[in-house]
Amino acid sequence: MLKYILKRILQMIPVFLGVTLLLFVLRAPGVLPGDPVRMITGERAISDELRDQIIEANGLDKSLPQQYVIYLNNLAHGDLGESYQKQRSVVDILADKFPNTLRLAIAAIVIEIFMGVGAGLISAIKQRSFSDVFVTLTTSVLVSVPVFWLGMLLQMFFGIVVKDWTGGAVSLPISGMSSSNYPDWMHLILPAFTLASVSSAYVARIMRSQMLESMGQDYIRTARAKGLANNAVVRKHALKNALIPVVTFIGIDFGVMMSGAILTETIFSWPGVGREIFLAIGQRDWPVVIGGVIMIVFAVMFINLIIDVSYAFLDPRIRYGGAAE
Amino acid sequence: MTEKFRKAVAVALSLALALSMLGVAGCSTASDEGGDGGDGGDNANMGGTFNFYINEPAFIDPVNLQESEGTQVGQAVFDSLVGFDYLTSEIEPAAAATWEATEEAKVWTFNLVEGATFHNGDPVTAADFKYAWERICNPENESEISYHLASVLGYDAMQAGEATELEGVKAIDDYTLEVTLTESFADFEYVVGHPALAPVPQDAVENGTDVDGTMVAFGEMPIGNGPFMMSEPWAHDQYIKVARNDDYYGTPANIDGVDFRIFADQDTAFLEFQAGNIDMASIPVGQIQSTVEQYGESPDGYTANAGEQTLLGGELAIYYLLMNNTNETLKDPNVRAALSLAVNREQIAEKIFEGTRIPATGIVPPGIVGFQEDGFEYSKYDVEAAKAMLAEAGYPDGEGLPKIALEYNTGSGHEDILALVADDFAAIGIETELLGTEWGEYLDKLTEKTYMVGRLGWIADYPIMDNFLYPIFKSDSGDNYAFYNNATVDSMLEEARQETDGDARVETYREIEKIIGSEAAVIPVVFYRHTRVASDRVMDGVLSPNGLMNFEELYLSDGAATE
Repeated sequence: MLKYILKRILQMIPVFLGVTLLLFVLRAPGVLPGDPVRMITGERAISDELRDQIIEANGLDKSLPQQYVIYLNNLAHGDLGESYQKQRSVVDILADKFPNTLRLAIAAIVIEIFMGVGAGLISAIKQRSFSDVFVTLTTSVLVSVPVFWLGMLLQMFFGIVVKDWTGGAVSLPISGMSSSNYPDWMHLILPAFTLASVSSAYVARIMRSQMLESMGQDYIRTARAKGLANNAVVRKHALKNALIPVVTFIGIDFGVMMSGAILTETIFSWPGVGREIFLAIGQRDWPVVIGGVIMIVFAVMFINLIIDVSYAFLDPRIRYGGAAE
Repeated sequence: MTEKFRKAVAVALSLALALSMLGVAGCSTASDEGGDGGDGGDNANMGGTFNFYINEPAFIDPVNLQESEGTQVGQAVFDSLVGFDYLTSEIEPAAAATWEATEEAKVWTFNLVEGATFHNGDPVTAADFKYAWERICNPENESEISYHLASVLGYDAMQAGEATELEGVKAIDDYTLEVTLTESFADFEYVVGHPALAPVPQDAVENGTDVDGTMVAFGEMPIGNGPFMMSEPWAHDQYIKVARNDDYYGTPANIDGVDFRIFADQDTAFLEFQAGNIDMASIPVGQIQSTVEQYGESPDGYTANAGEQTLLGGELAIYYLLMNNTNETLKDPNVRAALSLAVNREQIAEKIFEGTRIPATGIVPPGIVGFQEDGFEYSKYDVEAAKAMLAEAGYPDGEGLPKIALEYNTGSGHEDILALVADDFAAIGIETELLGTEWGEYLDKLTEKTYMVGRLGWIADYPIMDNFLYPIFKSDSGDNYAFYNNATVDSMLEEARQETDGDARVETYREIEKIIGSEAAVIPVVFYRHTRVASDRVMDGVLSPNGLMNFEELYLSDGAATE
């Protein structure tokens, strides 16, 4: 296992370098439009002297390979450069935003696990019952609802309608991470639910189908024939096997959430990484875009590694020892 | 299913349900901020926190105070040498109690208010202004707004890295600042009113500010000399909180403070407004009429009071079409006039902007002293006159006229406007093509004169006619993207800058606008308007034509923060 983990970590290095190279090529002059000096100085006319100074100060007078080597060297020292627009260190900007994204992603994943797995289980165990029909219908609706619409609906309902109904006594914060009117944790509720909504529906559906498939397997019949209690059959045999694709989905989804949920973050004014990169792309603020993408790539690779390792615990047949390869 | 397993599933579902129901169970708590009714003066309505919507500013440090959001915060935290009346835009004293200029308006002496202090208690002196201005001009700081000081002697040398001081700025003593310009500029007193030209305390800039044992950079928590002071460091993408400066040298503000609530999405901010969580928001397109019906409209368009909460007054900004005056076809003023007459501005204002813009009649918008209804002769919709002008230029019904490329930067909705313009041009027989490019590339095209017709917007830095005429139309101005070149206009612009009599100066600028308009140098399209709405607890809330909120004089009817 240790050898496998080390190998996976080593495999991450070329992927990581490849991503940085690709990002650098994309911002090369002529590949994407836009003059970096313009991005720094805005549309106002500037003198040639000032222009030259800005080019020199930002290393833009060097060849692209030279710039790339300098960038990698800086990266190795934890320096992702400075934002063109904000004149702040990219590391500082991302360090501000990443914990917020992480917080939202974790909350959404927790909701996704509880709601998705729970609903899928009930639906499978009580097949063709009211609960099953309810879960199937609800998940069908959720997967087809646009996230931004659901978010705005929740904002209006819990922020305005419920508040009006109760004369202001009960309501939820509509946006942001904090305010004087609500405890901070309450600000997480609506964005986390919105972010988790579609994924929970998918998890419920995957969970249901996997459980139904598992319950029909021979080993389940054998387990029942041995006289095992239904609870033990479901928990020890069916559930564990059914969980593998669910864990894969949740893992990938967590990776996606780490890259920032642009729509959710924007609607709820949640200052996360996704929104930061989205805004930076619009402003052609390449240091922030490149730094942000590198951070996301790193996070996703790390999560993938954890998912791969977790398989071994879920399915004894999966082993990553050297002998198996 | 065993009892044990049922319990496990029940627990899991209960948790999920509990989480989902938190939405209903969550109760708002009454604010404990600003609910004390304030602590100053006899006014029973004093106190409370004003919650104001902004987008994330680029900077709140004067060194690069460049866009409306940062400037909004900057003008609350900093005072420049002069200020402006929020309704009339008339100049008034601020950090400078008095000032005077030499006869030719080339050397200016500002006498500072004695005893004024920064928020950290340091006295505000002339040296602080000199330091602040040199900081802006220092190319190492990559300030985008150094152009404010372009008329000051020594600016070019500093920008070129040949000097470390502004030769033209001298602190004669602690309270006397002398500024020498390279050329006469009678409106310079307006320039120094920009919040970016406020003084900054050198020690705080260089060492930051101690907040609970941590040194916070000046850019994150600026120390100013204005009516409000930063309560805590800037929470990026969340909020900026400022509190009333009780040691302010002027009249302290009525309210306890301002929470600048930062939103990326205007619709979200509007929902927060509807929920009663913020006191002023922008109105999303398509909701102007319903907002007016629900909240009432301000009679003057700028002042919000209960029942008169929607602000739709004109702003000091214009959207216009550029024509490359050096282009073989467009160098003929008759062709340019024909194009200008062909544009149906009313339709653009209504169809695209849903009434949130005003058809432009010139380049100088209403709200600027000297505004004239007929600034540009051809800034009106008259298809027949357009056809006649085109025929006069030798292109009857557009025959013989080359296809005109209508260029714009993509991603900001300009294509919709230019599509309507293309239809208007087609109506007089002109063939066009729409050509969208990315912003940087678009600006390159403008700079390199490789375009025919394009678009730009212009927002006033100072409420003066000069700000719309000199940069956009002076032949050697870097912002003259139309490449308009008229020696008479150039010399009149210089003359106007030297004219120290205010009325005479404005009259000259009016003449200049008429001349430029008679040659249809550009095509004014629409003037901007406010599209803001205030809560019913905001009283005397004035949003000036240049979009700055008068935080000092507004008050809140309940004197307490919004729940």
